[in-house]
Amino acid sequence: MAPMLAELGRVSKSYGGVPVLKGVDFAVRAGEIHALLGGNGAGKSTLMKILAGLVAPSAGRVSIAGASLHPPTPAQAQAMGLYLVPQEAHIFPNQSVLENICIGLPRRAEAYRARIGELIADLGVALSPDAKAATLEIADRQIVEILRGLVRDAKVLILDEPTSALTPHEVDTLFDRMRALRATGHGLVFISHKLHELRAVSDRITVLRDGYVVHSATMSESNDVEILAAMSPGVAALRDRRADRARAERKTLEVAGLRGEGFVDISFDLHHGEVLGLTGVVGAGRTELAETLVGLRPRAGGEVVLEGRAFLARTPRDAVRENVVLLSEDRQQYGLFLDAPLYWNTSSLVHYLLPFLLRPGKERARFEGYRKTLGIKCETAEQPVRSLSGGNQQKVLLSKCLAAQPRVLILDEPTRGVDVGARNDIYELIEQLADAGTAVLLISSDFDEVVRLSDRIAVMAGGHLAGELPGGSSTDEIAELAFESREAAHA
Amino acid sequence: MLERIARERVATLFLVTLIVLLLVGAAAPGFLSTRTASIIWSNGLVLMLVALGIFPVILTRNIDVSGGSVLGLSAVTLGLTVNAGASLPVAIAAALGAGVAAGALNGGLVALLGVPSIVTTLGTLGLFRGVMLIATGGEWIEELPQGVKDLSGKGFVGLSAVGIVAIALIAAVWLVLRTRRGHWIFAVGDNREAARHLGLPLRRIEFLAFVWAGAMYAIAGIAFAAQIGFVPNQAGSGMELRAIAALVLGGISLLGGVGSVAGVAIGVIFFTSIDTALVFLKIPAYWNDLIGGAMLLAVLLIDGRLRIALEARDRAARYRRGETSPSRTGDLEEAA
Repeated sequence: MAPMLAELGRVSKSYGGVPVLKGVDFAVRAGEIHALLGGNGAGKSTLMKILAGLVAPSAGRVSIAGASLHPPTPAQAQAMGLYLVPQEAHIFPNQSVLENICIGLPRRAEAYRARIGELIADLGVALSPDAKAATLEIADRQIVEILRGLVRDAKVLILDEPTSALTPHEVDTLFDRMRALRATGHGLVFISHKLHELRAVSDRITVLRDGYVVHSATMSESNDVEILAAMSPGVAALRDRRADRARAERKTLEVAGLRGEGFVDISFDLHHGEVLGLTGVVGAGRTELAETLVGLRPRAGGEVVLEGRAFLARTPRDAVRENVVLLSEDRQQYGLFLDAPLYWNTSSLVHYLLPFLLRPGKERARFEGYRKTLGIKCETAEQPVRSLSGGNQQKVLLSKCLAAQPRVLILDEPTRGVDVGARNDIYELIEQLADAGTAVLLISSDFDEVVRLSDRIAVMAGGHLAGELPGGSSTDEIAELAFESREAAHA
Repeated sequence: MLERIARERVATLFLVTLIVLLLVGAAAPGFLSTRTASIIWSNGLVLMLVALGIFPVILTRNIDVSGGSVLGLSAVTLGLTVNAGASLPVAIAAALGAGVAAGALNGGLVALLGVPSIVTTLGTLGLFRGVMLIATGGEWIEELPQGVKDLSGKGFVGLSAVGIVAIALIAAVWLVLRTRRGHWIFAVGDNREAARHLGLPLRRIEFLAFVWAGAMYAIAGIAFAAQIGFVPNQAGSGMELRAIAALVLGGISLLGGVGSVAGVAIGVIFFTSIDTALVFLKIPAYWNDLIGGAMLLAVLLIDGRLRIALEARDRAARYRRGETSPSRTGDLEEAA
C-alpha cells in the first residue's frame, strides 16, 4: 500500500462546548485523490483546517509525512509539504497577483514568474500576474488560491470546494492537473458538494456527518445512493422538478432594454408567482443586473415597470419600500452582520420599519417564526451569525429577505456552499413562495438547480441576453447558450 | 492626469510642497535658500524619526499612540543617566533600552496577549508619561552637558550626528521593505487571515514592529534632547498625532498594507515646511495648528475625491470591456 502522507487519528474538536468533530480518523496516501463529503456543519472544513494547522484540535493526533505534530502551526504544515486551498479565497488586495501567489515562499516572487506563467497557461485562464488583486473577480481570486497550492508543489494538496466559481472548461483542466499530481505521487483531498465531480477524479471517499465518519471506502465500491444516504439519512436525493404550472397572466415586473454596468439591452417579463431562472457563467452580468434592479448600481438606460407603474430604485431602500428584495451572492461580505445576533440580522432589511425605541422582544419573536419555517439550527436568537454553519447562515439571510415581504425576490446563488439537506429546504421554500404569488428571479450558475426550479429560463452571456428556454429544458441546451462565446475562445 | 495624481500620491505631494515653497519664496524674499532647507530638515527631524517608528506598525494595521510618551521617557532616561555621571554612550544605550522596553511592552500586549493596539497604546501613553514624571519628580531636566548638544551640532557636510543617523534609518527601512521578509509586513496589514493561512509569523512581525517603533521613539528622544538642550516634562507630547497625520498625508493607509518610505519622508517634510513658512510669512505661531490642520484636511479631501473619481473610471472601463466580450475571455487565445 502506498505510503501515508498525512494522517489524523481520533481527532475531536468542540467550539464552546459544542462538539464539531467526534474522534475522526482520516488519511491521505501518496498517489490518491481522497474525496471528502458531508453536509453543512458536518466538520469537513474544520477537519482540514486542523490538518493544515489553522485550527487546534481538542484531542487526537495529527501527523504529516510520518512526523507527529502537537498540533502543527500553519508554517510547519506548509514546510512539511501540506497546503490547503480554502473555500473562500484569501487574497492581499493591495498586492499583485504574482506577489499574492508567492508570498511565504522561500525565494522572491520574481523567481517564480515563469513557473506561474506556465501554470496559468495550462489552466487556460486569462490572468495577468501583474494585475492588482483588488481588481479580480471572485472566480479569479479562487484561481489565485489554486495557483498558490500548485506552485508550492505540496505533497498533500487540500482543495476545499475549488470548483464552485469555475467554468466547466476550467474544472476540466483543474481535474487534469489533479490527475497529473496524483500520477507523480502527490496526495490530494478534494472537497465538493457535487457528486459527479467527486466521482470524476477521486479514488477514495470519506463522508462525514455530525462529526463522525459515516462512510469510508474506495470510490468504485460506493454508489451514489449509498453516499447520499450516509450524508443525510432520510433524504434520498434532491427533489425532482415539480410539474409545470400554468403561468399567471399578471406581470409583476417588466424589464425593457435595461442597460448598466456589465450588461446591455436586457428585456424580460417576470410573472406573478413565477420562478424565472437567470443563468450563465461567471462574468455574464447577472449579478450586475440584479444589483442594478435594486439600486446598488446606477442604471444607464431602459425601463422597468413594477405592477403597472414605472419603477426606479436609486438606493436599495427604494427597492425595499416597493418590496423588491435581493439576496446577495456573497453572504459573508454583503449579506450578513456576522457578529450581530441572529434576530438582529432578520430585522436588518426592514430596519426603517422598526420603532424609534427598539423592542428586542418583538424582533426575537419575528426571528423565532422564521427559525421554525426555515428550520434554522441554532441555540438562541442572541448568538452571532458567525457561529452558524454555511447552510444555516444562508437561511438567516433568507429570513432577512422574507421579512421585507417581497413582491419580487431576486435570489443570487441562493445555495452556494450549502449542502444537500439545506438545499432541499431552500428549494422547497422557493416553490412555496412562488405558489404564494411572489415573483422569483433565480440567479444561479448551477444549471441543474435552474432546471429543477424554473418555470422559464433566461440565459445571459457576455452581458447580453443569449436566449430564453422553456422550463424543463436540458442543461445541455443551457450550456450551449451560456458557453457559446467562451468555448469559441477556447477552440 | 487625474490618474497620475491619484496613483502617484508621493509625487503629487512633492509637487504641492514645491509649489507652496515657491509661493512662500515669492512672498517672503530670502525664504528660498539652503539655510531654509537646513532649518526644515532639523525642525522635522524628531517628527521624521517618530513617523518612521509608527510606519511599520500602521502597515501591519495596528496603531501606536504612545510615541510621544516613549520619546519623553527616553529623553529623560538620557538626561538622568548622563547627569548622574554616566558616559554619553552608556546614557544613549540606556535611552535606547528604555525605548525598546516600552516598545516590547506594547508589542507583547498586542501580539502575544491580543489586546487591540489602540487600547494598549492609549493605556501605555499615560503609563510611560507617568513613569517619566515619577523619575524626574515632575521637574524639568536642565543643563544637559555639551556632549549631548553636540549630537545635533553641524558636522559632516553640514549634517549633525542625529541627522546622519536619521538618513541611515530611512535608507534601512526602505531596504528592509524591499526584502522578501520585509514584504510580509505589508501582507499582515493587507489581509491578516490570508497571512495566517500562508503561515507567516504574524505575532513575531507585529511584536517586532512595536519594538522597532519604541527604538525609533528613543532615537527621536535623544535627537529632541540634543536639539533643545533640556528636557521639559511635556517632551514629545502630541508628537504621535502629528506623526500619524504626516503619514496619512504621505499616502500611508491607516487600514494597513499600503505605504512607502518616500511617502513618510514627503509627508513629514510637507508638514514641517508649512510651519517653517509661516514663520517667514510673519504669521504668529499660534496660527500654526489651524493652518496645518486646514491644509491636512484639504489635501485629504482632494485625495479622497480623486480616488472616488478614479474608481468610478476603473469600473466603467471594466464594464466597457464586458459589453463587447465576456469579461474573462480577453486573452484566452494567447493563453491556450
